Amino acid sequence: MKKLIFALTGLTAFIVVHALAEEEEAPLAPLEAGSVSQEDGLANWAKIHEVFSHPRCANCHVDDSGIPMWSGPSYGKTRPHGMFISGGETRIGIEFVQCGTCHGRENSPTPHGPPGNEVWLLAPAEMQWFDKSSQEICEQIKDPERNGGRTILEVAEHVSHDPLVHWGWDPGPGREAAPYSAAETTDSILKWQAAGAPCPSAE
Amino acid sequence: MNETGNHMQLKVNGKEHEVEVEEDMPLLWVLRDELGITGPKYGCGITACGACTVHIDGMAIRSCSMPVGDVFGEVTTIEGLGTPDALHAVQAAWIEHQVAQCGYCQSGQIMAAAAFLEVNPDPDDEAIDRALSANLCRCGTYVRVREAVKTAAAKLRGV
Repeated sequence: MKKLIFALTGLTAFIVVHALAEEEEAPLAPLEAGSVSQEDGLANWAKIHEVFSHPRCANCHVDDSGIPMWSGPSYGKTRPHGMFISGGETRIGIEFVQCGTCHGRENSPTPHGPPGNEVWLLAPAEMQWFDKSSQEICEQIKDPERNGGRTILEVAEHVSHDPLVHWGWDPGPGREAAPYSAAETTDSILKWQAAGAPCPSAE
Repeated sequence: MNETGNHMQLKVNGKEHEVEVEEDMPLLWVLRDELGITGPKYGCGITACGACTVHIDGMAIRSCSMPVGDVFGEVTTIEGLGTPDALHAVQAAWIEHQVAQCGYCQSGQIMAAAAFLEVNPDPDDEAIDRALSANLCRCGTYVRVREAVKTAAAKLRGV
């Protein structure tokens, strides 16, 4: 258990450093409120939703079972990560097998090899949006209780600066990248915010 | 690990080694071909089978896919886990339950189990399965693996 605590302490230290690294980037400036129409705001949300619901993003925004998802040309329909994997409560698998046991610092260059990044972990369980509707995710992104304690501007900064988020656009061989780019998605979030962060009707 | 150009220092099983290799060479290649440590096995080469599992500072790592330049601490292989005179509890349990059949995957299984029990000393069946399902055994020794892990856990807890 001491090692578990040590590992968690290490993770916490990493996240702090990670957060500081994010802070080193130039801060984003919000657009003037009302400078974007409601219609354009909804159009921008649709682009944001395309990104957030894309497998490269949503497959790790899973519930408290901690089971990441797999999807893509090699897997057919989206299904749970093979090998009976769970990220557990720690979201990095310390209780079972750590994500870092297989997921290294870089994408494997070999087809079907594991993707990688400087850090590899599931989003917190409260940020689960896998399988949720556009309207549900939209409301969630505005709720600090369910978006990692962020303002909308901080969500934009997260998308703009976070290396693991950026992995979604550089996922390694054999995986479809998320649509648009980090910069375009950040721009869409700022426009959506300026429009009053409108959400689509329930489907 | 310290490195200067392609000259690297690597601590394995308590012993310092100096190797002249490219930093993107997988750790498994360095262990087997450069240092002659052949306990870790090559299976799939893409972290999907677990035969190459070693520890780095106690954490289970698939050595087939970790570039040696990314090694962040001391490496322990099956050769360094215990000794013939003082087996690690997991090794002893493996013998007690006669887990191995062909044996090829077993060093990886044992290393994964040893790392797992350090953080989860009293696991239930689901936790054992979650921890070790990524270590494949084509002989199908999984039932004995599970029992051996329980025996080792009890021994490590002093039960």
